[in-house]
Amino acid sequence: MNLVPITYKGGIYRHDEIMDLIEDLGGYIIQKHILAQEVVLQALVPREDIELIARIGKPLTGEIIPSPLVGTEIAVVTMSLEIHHLPHASCDVAEYVRRMGAKTNMVGLARGFGKRIAQLNDEERDVINEHDLAVYLLGDFETCIEYKFPVIRRGIHVPIIVLGGPSTETLKKIIDPPVDGYVGNVGRFMHRTKESDELEMLDQVVTEITRVLDKKREEIAKDPPTVSPARLMDVISSQVDEIHEVLSPTPITVQMTGLRVKLPYDHFAPVLKDIVVEEGITIGEVAEILPSRMRDYILLRIKPFSETNIMV
Amino acid sequence: MDAIEYFEVESPEETGRAYYRRIADIVLLDHNLLRVIKKLHISIDPRIPLFIAVGVTKKIPRVVRVRDIADVNVQERKVTLSIGDETYLAPLLKILWAEYGGDKVIQPDRFTVILNIEGADGHQIEEIPVIDPSESLYKDLIYALLVIQPEGFKVRRQYYGKEKFYLVASENTLPENFEDLVKEKFALMGESL
Repeated sequence: MNLVPITYKGGIYRHDEIMDLIEDLGGYIIQKHILAQEVVLQALVPREDIELIARIGKPLTGEIIPSPLVGTEIAVVTMSLEIHHLPHASCDVAEYVRRMGAKTNMVGLARGFGKRIAQLNDEERDVINEHDLAVYLLGDFETCIEYKFPVIRRGIHVPIIVLGGPSTETLKKIIDPPVDGYVGNVGRFMHRTKESDELEMLDQVVTEITRVLDKKREEIAKDPPTVSPARLMDVISSQVDEIHEVLSPTPITVQMTGLRVKLPYDHFAPVLKDIVVEEGITIGEVAEILPSRMRDYILLRIKPFSETNIMV
Repeated sequence: MDAIEYFEVESPEETGRAYYRRIADIVLLDHNLLRVIKKLHISIDPRIPLFIAVGVTKKIPRVVRVRDIADVNVQERKVTLSIGDETYLAPLLKILWAEYGGDKVIQPDRFTVILNIEGADGHQIEEIPVIDPSESLYKDLIYALLVIQPEGFKVRRQYYGKEKFYLVASENTLPENFEDLVKEKFALMGESL
């Protein structure tokens, strides 16, 4: 079954029918927002059933938008959390990408600013590496970017997309070894992005992220995870009651090949390990259960098929 | 509102220069400072790195004295201040308390302050300085420049006074001749420090 990421927007009235429908069709609801009278569902649904959901949702003023970023967790790395970078451009980018369905976390470096003095510490490095992709928001001067970027990318092994003030070509020229994606003309600015050309610039960022993630998906498809992360999310949320008491917007965050479970590691890691996914296969067998560097959360890395020889 | 007379940003990198011109414009506008600046020259060299901002302000309101905000009426055993502008009432009361003691200063209503003192010199009270608006204005100005400058330039020198100000910042030790550089930038605007 080929699951595709979508966003469903519709009225709150009878939205539970849509949720049931998605689940009955074998899809997964990753996140649900209720905003006044509107419901936004981010879900993975079977490709051939999108038509059906659209038809049933139509009388409920529902619409379906393809959202390639649903089911991914993206780190927006900003050089500091000072007024120089916040709320524009860091929040503008993070929020725009969030609207396209991704779960974005802003990683504000403690000492990322400056040219010679820029640093990345081990905690920041590990947190960034827990994501599917890192978007680096750099400044306006190419001299500085060229000088400091090798330092702040050290040890990062997830795909990196660099945003900066100089043009895309210049960024490509000055960054060596190359990273996975570049978007120029998105450097430091102090105003809200609301003009059409500025929104176009943010669209470019989303396009670039989608391109890089598609490439990553292709890689993953060659050796797929033993169990789909969305399915594992479903299993955990139906078997661990405590997850429903977590107040985070996404108590279980779905990544491309893993999950972040927002429960304390010490207490819940053994619990998760013994949960049965299907016919005697436990989570401990199909995934590594690791402590996350983000608070005391749990990080599940699903093992690929080649390692387990099981397909659930 | 008069437009700013001279406003330039210089940098060896053209794209960076254009961005910083926009940033400076927006920050000054947001902090409501464009109306007090007459000339401003910003120079950023990311290679050293060094940030220099020099500028001239328009005429700044002088020190506010008691006579500017209140009518002073001296009677035999008391002095009555009728407050015209209550913007600076709080700092005024603070000064009066320190000068005459809290029990001698009575404020029966919002716009009246009575001093229970004998044989006061009305003229002397009128001349008491209440606040120097330029002080906070220059502080705001320097704060705005700190927001404009690239982040991480923690080594800095600043100066303000006599309608001129400058800020030099870097992440390294400042060059020894930074005062000459500042003078050069002032000369570009046709001014001297």
